[in-house]
Amino acid sequence: MCALALFALALLGTPARAPAQDEVRIDLSTDTQKRIGLVLEALTAAGSARSLAVSADPILANDLSGSGLFDVAKAWESASALPADAQAVVGGKLTITGGTVVLTGEIKDFPARRLIARSEYRGTTAELRRLVHRFADDVALHLTGEAGVAQTRIAWVQKGARASELWVVDVDGFGARPLTAFKSPLTSPAWTPSAQEVVFASLRGAAWNLYAVKLGGGAARQASHGGTLNIAPAVAPDGAIAFASNKDGNSEIYIAGADGSGARRLTISRGIDTSPAWSPSGQRIAFTSDRGGSAQVYVMDREGGNARRLLSGFSYSDSPDWSPKGDKLAFVVRTGGGFDVWIANADGSNPRAIATGGSNENPHWSPDGRLLVFSSTRGGARGLYITDLRGTIVRRIEVPGTAANPAWSPRPPGGSVSGLNLDTNRSTTQGGKTR
Amino acid sequence: MKLHSRIALYCLPLLAASLLSGCAKKKEVAEAAPPPAPEVTAPAPAPAPAPAPEATPEQPAKTVQDQIADVFYDYDSAELSTAAQTTLDANAKVLNDNAGASVAIEGHCDERGTVEYNLALGDRRAQAAKDYLVRFGIATGRVSTISYGEERPFATGSDESAWAQNRRAHFVVR
Repeated sequence: MCALALFALALLGTPARAPAQDEVRIDLSTDTQKRIGLVLEALTAAGSARSLAVSADPILANDLSGSGLFDVAKAWESASALPADAQAVVGGKLTITGGTVVLTGEIKDFPARRLIARSEYRGTTAELRRLVHRFADDVALHLTGEAGVAQTRIAWVQKGARASELWVVDVDGFGARPLTAFKSPLTSPAWTPSAQEVVFASLRGAAWNLYAVKLGGGAARQASHGGTLNIAPAVAPDGAIAFASNKDGNSEIYIAGADGSGARRLTISRGIDTSPAWSPSGQRIAFTSDRGGSAQVYVMDREGGNARRLLSGFSYSDSPDWSPKGDKLAFVVRTGGGFDVWIANADGSNPRAIATGGSNENPHWSPDGRLLVFSSTRGGARGLYITDLRGTIVRRIEVPGTAANPAWSPRPPGGSVSGLNLDTNRSTTQGGKTR
Repeated sequence: MKLHSRIALYCLPLLAASLLSGCAKKKEVAEAAPPPAPEVTAPAPAPAPAPAPEATPEQPAKTVQDQIADVFYDYDSAELSTAAQTTLDANAKVLNDNAGASVAIEGHCDERGTVEYNLALGDRRAQAAKDYLVRFGIATGRVSTISYGEERPFATGSDESAWAQNRRAHFVVR
């Protein structure tokens, strides 16, 4: 990882030293990670770039604190009281030449303020948010060995009394917009690996079917056929869709191609089988079944073999989601009138509550495996929250209406607006140890 | 005035009796909460001056829909209770008498499950009601099913009375 960070620096040809790298590296192998103290300085700018810099500062601050990795002290708010335990300073400058915005981001150690890394991000003024997000992700890369998730999005369901719609929003709460106008019940968004398309279930006409809609617009395409209940899609790394269907009688789990063709049944039980979730390798599927008398999380092979119950000691466990590194599962456990979000190791060991209070549902991992998004009624109407793995809420995503069913996008395909190519890093987020 | 008090006197015992029986019934089978639509199991001549709130004024011929009642379920269950079977028996008779009518059965759930589990549970409830009608002799082609899970609750609120209202198979006559 350290080599990667240095490699990224070398790409830029920036004279940079990395003396403090190992000292500020956090341990990614545990979920009791300690946050890194950061001093965030306002971006310097002159002339017409000044207003852009003023709007960029809070975006960067929000990205860094929302990553769950940093305790951020804004130097422009607390110049007299910089935290003594800060380990790095983040800042830089913003210029406009012609129509091109250039964000020069800098990371320095603290308190010596020696340069650790400097990178440039170029784009149009309309791309300012993306430039800042890339810098924020690079800050995480330099200081923790893995890029952040500031460039990702959340798909979610805006719930109405009679109909719901699929919406998408940047992970920092910016740019919420609907992707459907179905005017019908709708649930369960799932991203395709490209991060450019969302599969979901909706009751249009006389049956629930799966549909897929592209972020860029265009008509939704139907992705299931037969039966009256086709719900709970989950997209494998190779594009195959696992879902629940009643086409053979009761709700069972099937696997089909991206267009719904060639559906094969994976489960055979008299009970309800639903809510499949892929392991990151695409070789195993976690799902919910009440075959044993109550809804519980099970795990099986991709072809349906070796099904076994994952957890014991819960009266009702449901909504599994596999961490992107394959080492953990998130799920919900029923309490009196609602649900709590829990995580456990992929073999079911070491279960622990992450989100309690109100009813907390549909946990979904961030692509770096360091955060979970879920919906909760803790603030009144159901809304979207992000927690770290210690159970600290790092953000409430402000979106219009009643929000449920969040799904975190993969990292988008990189490289369009930044000079820094992070493709090599992305491979490190795909899980190996899922068995 | 006189007339009113006489009616009141006449009706009070009946009212009390029906309330009591309602209570007893409710205790016995918690899921059989009174649905919002008027019950039609006892087609009384109804001389009382207080007509059912949602009934259209003076509609002598009851539609098939009016004669069909919803079925209620226990928590996390699609099993048909004795009360549910009685209701389904009556529904089947109505369908037998109206050969041109077909029915869509909507399966509904309370909010105490996840969205996806409840969609499967609602499907199971609607299927259980359909299977019963088909065993009774109603042609399978006249009965369709669809699950709404917890997506369209009949009663809002997070208590047992609301939950009991929402655990139902709702019949829509076509």
